[in-house]
Amino acid sequence: MRIYILKRLIQIVPTVLGITFVVFLMMRSIPGDPVVALLGDAYTEENAIKARHDYGLDKPVLVQYLIWLGKLAQGDWGASILTGRPVLSDVLVRLPVTLELVVLSMAVALAIAIPAAIVGALRQNTWADYTATSVAMVGVSIPEFFLGVLLLLAFSIGLGGLLPSSGWVYLPGTCQTVVCAAGLWGNTQHVLMPALALGVGRAALLTRLLRASMLEVIRTEYVTTARAKGLGEGPVVLKHALKNALIPTVTVMGLQVGFLIGGAIVVETLFAMPGLGTFGIDAIIARDYQQVQGFALVTALAFVFINLIVDLTYTFLDPRIRYS
Amino acid sequence: MSPRRLLPGCLLALAVLAAMIGGPPTLSEAQAPKRGGIFRVSYGNEIAHLDFHTAPGYEMMWVAMNVGCGLVNITPDGTFVGDAAESWQVSPDGLLYSFKLKKNVLFHDGTKVDAAAVKFSIDRLMDPATGSGMRIFYESVHSVEVLDPLTVHIRLKHPYAFMLHMLAGYRTGLILYSPTATQKFTLEDRKQGKPGAVVGCGPFKLIEWVKGSHLAMDRFDKYFEPGLPYLDRVIIRVIKDPITEMAAFKAGEIDFIASFSPEHVDTMRAQNPRAQIMTGKETTPMLAAMKVTVPKDGKPMAKDRMPHPIFGDVRVRKAVGCYGIDRKEIVKIAFKGQATPWLGIIPPGTLDTVDVTSMCPYDPGKAKALLAESGYGPHKPLTFELMTNTEKTVFNVIATVIKDQMTRIGVTANIRLVDKVTWMTAANQDGPWDMYVEDLLSLLTLDSNAFLSTTQASWNHTRHVDTKVDDYYARYAREMDAVKRKAIAREFQEFSADKLYWNTISGSPFYMVAQPWMKGYVYNAEFEVHYDKVWLDK
Repeated sequence: MRIYILKRLIQIVPTVLGITFVVFLMMRSIPGDPVVALLGDAYTEENAIKARHDYGLDKPVLVQYLIWLGKLAQGDWGASILTGRPVLSDVLVRLPVTLELVVLSMAVALAIAIPAAIVGALRQNTWADYTATSVAMVGVSIPEFFLGVLLLLAFSIGLGGLLPSSGWVYLPGTCQTVVCAAGLWGNTQHVLMPALALGVGRAALLTRLLRASMLEVIRTEYVTTARAKGLGEGPVVLKHALKNALIPTVTVMGLQVGFLIGGAIVVETLFAMPGLGTFGIDAIIARDYQQVQGFALVTALAFVFINLIVDLTYTFLDPRIRYS
Repeated sequence: MSPRRLLPGCLLALAVLAAMIGGPPTLSEAQAPKRGGIFRVSYGNEIAHLDFHTAPGYEMMWVAMNVGCGLVNITPDGTFVGDAAESWQVSPDGLLYSFKLKKNVLFHDGTKVDAAAVKFSIDRLMDPATGSGMRIFYESVHSVEVLDPLTVHIRLKHPYAFMLHMLAGYRTGLILYSPTATQKFTLEDRKQGKPGAVVGCGPFKLIEWVKGSHLAMDRFDKYFEPGLPYLDRVIIRVIKDPITEMAAFKAGEIDFIASFSPEHVDTMRAQNPRAQIMTGKETTPMLAAMKVTVPKDGKPMAKDRMPHPIFGDVRVRKAVGCYGIDRKEIVKIAFKGQATPWLGIIPPGTLDTVDVTSMCPYDPGKAKALLAESGYGPHKPLTFELMTNTEKTVFNVIATVIKDQMTRIGVTANIRLVDKVTWMTAANQDGPWDMYVEDLLSLLTLDSNAFLSTTQASWNHTRHVDTKVDDYYARYAREMDAVKRKAIAREFQEFSADKLYWNTISGSPFYMVAQPWMKGYVYNAEFEVHYDKVWLDK
């Protein structure tokens, strides 16, 4: 097992390097010059040449990448071209917000998907199944931003400001700034709508997947045996059927992290949240190469580590799976 | 009847008498400013950075105006009022501006605002190494001289009629920097808003800026205006989505929207009947700019130019931009009628503006005739690219209407939608474009437009090479007689409308929205956004 984990960790290095290199190349191939955004009203040819030189943007792309990589190896993620702020510290300030959003949206997704899938599978071709399947279909079809706007209209405007429309209240102890709102209740209020907006689409997808797995599993011999042994329906479904049916779902959950981070860009922008999503999109719009690299790096790392965790989870869900 | 029982009656009689003598309470009596409170402001865009002398964008400017102070400010009616300057005098030849500073003005680091600080700040802005966008406006300055700690002279090379306008309201106006803090901290520190690095002499001192989250500034207790500011703290948040911004406003989460999108004003009004929606005469022109020249050798920014293959011909510019564009229809569709159709180089709200719109009546027949004269017609249809960007949805609406109007005169306009940085790169770096839709800059005076349209200006996006334009600007700015200046302004605007180096289609309205409990704010478009007299009536 340890060797397996070590191997996987080593594999992460070329994966992450590959991703950051592709992002590096792509950012430089799209139109738009970061120096233009940096200088704004003060743009002159002379100022632009000086700024390009100061930020090393006049060097060949490969050299720029190697410089970035060299600094990264020393723990320096670079500084924003626009603000001069260290990328790592900005990422660390914003990471908890997105992490909480992603975790809670996944929790929302599972909270909806598991019961809906179980009901759908156990009551196949009944109104309960049709309802669960139809709701899942609708959920998959609604984009995050649209659902977000509907939630805003309902809970922030319609119900007289029941939930705050924007901004962020940090979990107690997680705030890193001087002026900062922190509190569990405030945090819950602020994260609820974004988590719903982001989670419902995933819930729908997972419901469909888990229902199909459940239908397969509940017809297997070991489930019949469990029932024949006289086990109640609850333990049969939750302990024997669901646990095994979860394996493909867990795989998809891991892959969904990428979509969740993509969705976080939209949801965080809509709800004006100070997370990594808004950090990433602002960086791309401003062509702030260093920040984009930071965003790509942290996203890639999150993706590969979560998928490693997912792979390790299989051994818990199915004891027959062993890594060597 | 005991005296105690008589008392209420007597008090009532006295109150009635007082009311009869004094009349109704005045507004100031009824609304004495309340001290304290946290003022929550929403910006639609991120602050670029916090070196006020070099950072781009209005968002930064509106912070600079509150953290920083300058020599003078300008009121909505065009009157100059002292900021750090107590008084000022201009020599009869217009070559010497003498400023007497207030005694009690301090920077947030405790150092004094004196003549040396003024000289330091202006010298810094004029230094090419600083890379300030304001440098161009100090071109007339010969030197800054410290006479004594409270007296500073600005000596000019030639008269400059808009010196005070420039110091008050071009971009941020002059923002004084503390020499001590500027030398103590690096430029990077200041850009990042590191604690202690951003030091001004304004009513609020910067507490922190967390990009993507908030900017906070607290009352500066040693501010030179006694009793001001009223607010304890100002917190600025960025809410980019107008729907979310409206929801936050409706829910009372924000007190003030510093720049509100015109297309949502009606909805805002309907949802919040008590909201204070502030606007004024348009001071920003909405353009459909046409490129006039291109580099001969194809290398961007080359000095050697040749006419743009389409719009290098003034007849085509006139066919498309003058007679082919129905400005009234654009305003009706894109701004729901809430803007002014306009042609002049400066918009309706700018000083010395002249309405020359009648020079370009919508006349598709005349447009077609001019196109035919230029060699375009069914045998050789004119096709051009119309660039628009994602910064404001109204640009895209205008582009769509123009495309439709072009079809009516047999011209094809292919819309190219890009993001703001791509547009800025193409426009600033002499990239390949034919026409773009944008509103660039709020203009206090015609002179401030020199920044965008003299032949040597970096922001001369159309790359016209007509030095007559430079001559007009120079004559206008150096003429100290207001009547003669107006005459030059008129002549210039007519000339400009005839040449169409700068194709305005309308004014671009600017809106600010405040909660009913926000008091004391004086609307002065984008030029002066000050929170020092703002107070919260709640």
